Amino acid sequence: MRVLRSQFFWQAVVVGTLVWLGYVLASNIEANLAKSNIKLSFDFLSGQAGFDISESLLSVSSESSYASVILAGVINTVTLAICCIIGATVIGVLMGILRSSGHYLGERVAAFYIEITRNLPKLLILLALYLAMVTALPVVRESWSLFDVIHISNRAVYFPIIAQGAGLYWLFLMVALWPVALVLLGRVAARAQDKTGKRFPVFWPVTAGALLLIAAPALLGLAPYTLSWPELKGFDFAGGGRISVQFCVLVLALSIYHGGQVAELVRGAIQSVPVGQFEAAKASGLSFGQMTRLVILPQAIRAAVPSMGNQYLNITKNTSIGLAVGYSDLVSVMTTSINQTFRPIELMTVSMCVYLGICLIVSWLVNVYNARVMAVRA
Amino acid sequence: MEQTVLTPQKSPPKISRLTLLRNRLFGSARDSVLSVILLLIIATFGWIAIDWLLIGAVGPWGDRDACAAAAGACWPFLVEKHRLILFGTYPWDEQWRPLVASLLLLGGVGASMVPRWQDARLIWLWVGLSIAFTVLMRGGVPGLDYVQPERWNGLPVLLMLSIFGLVFAFPLGIVLALARHQDQLPAVRAIAVMWIELVRGVPMIMVLFLGLFVLPLMMPDDITLNPLITTMIALVIFHSAYFAESIRGGLQTVPMGQYEAADSQGLNWLQKTRLIILPQAIKVAMPGILNTVLGAYKDTSLVVIIGIHDIMATAKMSFSDPVWQRYGLEAYLFVGAWFLATCWCLSAYSRWLERRTS
Repeated sequence: MRVLRSQFFWQAVVVGTLVWLGYVLASNIEANLAKSNIKLSFDFLSGQAGFDISESLLSVSSESSYASVILAGVINTVTLAICCIIGATVIGVLMGILRSSGHYLGERVAAFYIEITRNLPKLLILLALYLAMVTALPVVRESWSLFDVIHISNRAVYFPIIAQGAGLYWLFLMVALWPVALVLLGRVAARAQDKTGKRFPVFWPVTAGALLLIAAPALLGLAPYTLSWPELKGFDFAGGGRISVQFCVLVLALSIYHGGQVAELVRGAIQSVPVGQFEAAKASGLSFGQMTRLVILPQAIRAAVPSMGNQYLNITKNTSIGLAVGYSDLVSVMTTSINQTFRPIELMTVSMCVYLGICLIVSWLVNVYNARVMAVRA
Repeated sequence: MEQTVLTPQKSPPKISRLTLLRNRLFGSARDSVLSVILLLIIATFGWIAIDWLLIGAVGPWGDRDACAAAAGACWPFLVEKHRLILFGTYPWDEQWRPLVASLLLLGGVGASMVPRWQDARLIWLWVGLSIAFTVLMRGGVPGLDYVQPERWNGLPVLLMLSIFGLVFAFPLGIVLALARHQDQLPAVRAIAVMWIELVRGVPMIMVLFLGLFVLPLMMPDDITLNPLITTMIALVIFHSAYFAESIRGGLQTVPMGQYEAADSQGLNWLQKTRLIILPQAIKVAMPGILNTVLGAYKDTSLVVIIGIHDIMATAKMSFSDPVWQRYGLEAYLFVGAWFLATCWCLSAYSRWLERRTS
């Protein structure tokens, strides 16, 4: 009884202090905002933002509302995060395998790379790469062109895209259906293998089918895909698609930075596979590639999933350094909006909720994947 | 009758270093292919680096006018600007003060790393160091002129924010970890969980902006906070959550028996935690804690985004001078060398500790 009472007492003290502190801070905020005639409300989100986002998958202009500009920022952050996650995974897995390959030179090269990225701040890597790119690449009017199809300048990479129309939607549909068909047919193939011991090929037939369907309208003479080519007009290119040099540098820098950390995780995961597995794989006459792909990686992935998930969350959060090179991600849109409206409380609440939401979704996806690879073991 | 035949002991055959290297690099077809690819990559990058750093470069005491024509690095730039990068716009004649202040902090870190000295004395050391640092940097006492905090730039700001940020965040992290680890006080636990998960769910830059935009609003009228202080508070809030998670990992490894043994000895909660539980937990959590420290130290450079003039900002300053505009990479290389050296020391310390405890 005595213990319970003291528990209640201490909790009451802590909660009471925090409530009091929160009240004082909140009333200070209220008073400070009242002085500049601002009342907390989210109504301004529907107002006209008045600033433009240079690069966005949504079409926003300076007449768009704050809400749509913020949404464009969120989409930019997500796009950047996905590209960086792919880049870091590719670099990290390659380097991690090299680090534990047993190859004399390869191990040292990978160790050097890991050590460098471990000991440098990401912002320094980003700014140094950005500076190097901007000085090494030509200005727009003298951009390097690859066969007149892709143009590279120190502002952006320009390339032809398929103009909007029925053809584009058909293409999107096929690209979206391709993985669905792969998964479904893969299940059928697995069931057939369980029954008969033979597995029919899935990947190449499905891919060929998808490509055929994509080409079908053209083969029927419908001319569905009209290309929009980038053309130099005045000081900039018109038409076509473009990816800004900021985006490229961000993807490169974050992939290199996090690649080192992913490589360490991969190495740890590979080391967690018992030596007997390597020996057994070699004794069965598997080549290095087969051994890695069929025996080692499936076991290593299981050990790596939780920490990889953590790493992906870090990458997502670290895309916010895009602000340093002027990429319009969520944080950048947020600060511009704060400077215009002086509504830090509302805007920071919105942005924090978005980041927390993204983190929840990523960790949920990782958990789902984790449950899947764990289930394989049973 | 069987006879055992003793084979004479043979020393391993002598292999020359060159043969050894050849066997290692070109032992099999697969190894050879990989070696050739790697050697080509190393040669290309190595050549670019050597050409830029040495061959095409102008030496440190070379003619600075030669830089315009040189294809490589311009080292006279660093000779000219290294003090700007290190100490920024701190009054030129007084720059021995940030130098001494930085050395004091570095010395303090070195002293805190010695396992024999890691006890309550450290608290006094850091209280003393923070007073000495502030007096040296700020001045305003007899013999030292007053220097506005806006003119504190470069290395001392980086060290101040990272070291003091971590020093204050560590005890807070311990409190948060303890709060989250227990189940007698569910309300306190809920607060700790919320704090930790909220902070870990958002990027560091968001927390820094919170310090920049929201913290001043929370203050009553008559208090205006120096940006350095708000940044420091934001950093403490941010790092404490990460420390808490590392330490909680350590707390989870302390066996139940230790708690029961401490209770049966009649120790009260504070004695039990301070003397029995925490020392064991922190020992286990040390690699994680040092990893947090390394990451936090590197990430302190992000404060440049909210307009604090740490060493990244002064590096930018150094090549914004129109005469020296083309030599930004040299400035970043200088900063990179600093981070490489200091982070390497930290990693080496972490490895040494791990060897020592195992």
